[in-house]
Amino acid sequence: MSLLEVDAVTKRFGGLTAVSRFSLTVGAGEIVGLIGPNGAGKTTVFHLLSGFQVPTEGTVRFKGVSVVGAKPHAICRRGLARTFQIVQPFVNLSALDNVMVGAFNRTDEVAAARRRAVEVLDFVGLGARRDVLARELTLPDRKRLEMARGLATQPELLLLDEVMSGLNPTEIEEIIGLIRRIHGQGVSLLIIEHVMRAIMALSQRIVVLHHGEKIAEGGPEAVARDPKVVGAYLGEQS
Amino acid sequence: MAAEALGGLALGVLLAAPPFLPPYFLEILISVMLVGYLGAAWNILGGYAGQFSFGHAAYFGIGAYTSTLLFLRLGVSPWLGMLAGGVLAAAFGLAAGYLSFRYGLRGPYFSLVTLAFAEMLRVIAVNTKAVGSSLGLVIPNREPAPVNFIFAGKLPYYYVILVMALGAVWITRVVSRSKLGYSLLAIRENEDAAEASGVDALGMKLRAMAISAFLTALGGTFYAQYFAYIDPTITFGPSVSIQSLLQAIVGGAGTVLGPVIGAFVLTPVSELSRAAIRGRAGVDVMLYGLVLILVISFLPQGIMGWVRRRR
Repeated sequence: MSLLEVDAVTKRFGGLTAVSRFSLTVGAGEIVGLIGPNGAGKTTVFHLLSGFQVPTEGTVRFKGVSVVGAKPHAICRRGLARTFQIVQPFVNLSALDNVMVGAFNRTDEVAAARRRAVEVLDFVGLGARRDVLARELTLPDRKRLEMARGLATQPELLLLDEVMSGLNPTEIEEIIGLIRRIHGQGVSLLIIEHVMRAIMALSQRIVVLHHGEKIAEGGPEAVARDPKVVGAYLGEQS
Repeated sequence: MAAEALGGLALGVLLAAPPFLPPYFLEILISVMLVGYLGAAWNILGGYAGQFSFGHAAYFGIGAYTSTLLFLRLGVSPWLGMLAGGVLAAAFGLAAGYLSFRYGLRGPYFSLVTLAFAEMLRVIAVNTKAVGSSLGLVIPNREPAPVNFIFAGKLPYYYVILVMALGAVWITRVVSRSKLGYSLLAIRENEDAAEASGVDALGMKLRAMAISAFLTALGGTFYAQYFAYIDPTITFGPSVSIQSLLQAIVGGAGTVLGPVIGAFVLTPVSELSRAAIRGRAGVDVMLYGLVLILVISFLPQGIMGWVRRRR
């Protein structure tokens, strides 16, 4: 049994089919990349997995149990956390308080939540900025904060939605290192990313989405050579 | 340290000074404490959870009517009626909150629905003979009887509302330092991100609603016993709702002391403008409105937000 099993999921908004009969598995300990051109439906897939939207058809099973129709907080409680493409920090709270909210996913004790949050902030490299209001953090720090908040919920599977967009090459290297360390702690990851170098380096397997449909799946090299994938990114040659 | 010393001094003055105050000032102090208390009750839902209720009069009225009716019709002590009113208001708040939150009403839509619930209760009270319709209810026998929440003179009422206000501040402090408090702030900041971080937004908002409604209802009972007269407009009308949220917003919504600080600023402003401009009806309200506009323009985070920024 895989950690995450998505089977023939379709999502329609009125007449528009955003995701069509999409299937995906993520095994325990895996890093899977989800790529595709803008508007391919990647973020919609994340919304469907994390409970923000309900599939029109198909099933989503996490740890063998269907999560279709479950609320986001219940899915988070089961061990699936996510970040948002456009970072959504609690801007008027300190970095520490932001991460404590996530830590409360596993405890009711303020002291325990604070300990956990401090640990996670140190882990992502924000330890020195824990008392800074989230609104005053730079974009790279906000991306780290977003990951820290998700990590503080102690997930088994973490969905990262473009955590490298808008970062410079040095910052991207740092985030790649951070993602490796998260993986090293036994967390499985499903990553949406446009930074090809990063997704090729990190993923054990890559799934390519185009117009809401899966057009390719496989190891990084195989996917990069796939003519359908090249066509989707560069335009069809005919 | 300085803040604690200042707080201790303020508390000492509030405890010791009132017996020596002339009646007029004692009355003002009682009304400061009452609106500060109502602001603190509103603050838990409005300030911390960011759910701007425009209809807290509903809970205030439920509290006032429940204890008064129990006392007049069945002879139940208002001290007990107060608790009954609180429980009833919390139940009504949970029902109203569930209906609003369950269907995803946020921001101004939630505010309008709460206003509608309060108005609905007002209209029901106006049209129900059994609760005195628009004439309201009078608590006649003014023989002092502490067991029935009736005192000689105003001083005991002052100490009752002082204890209630301190209690509300203490409850706010406990909430703000708990998982509930953190969850409410997260919901206020960004409900989707809160849910994604494992916060049960519906459950947490309902808890805030129940606490807020319960406390507001106790304020209603205090009002009824202190003035010995209630009617639908006074208790269920929009004025109580607006008073509650004004204290919190001016003092600093989502802060422990904000609502009480707000009450200490706003009530004297209202009294002074009334005293300064006699004979021209409405001008004092305009002046009061002007002060509100200035405070909200220049101190959008309220007085406590301004104090915090200057540190």
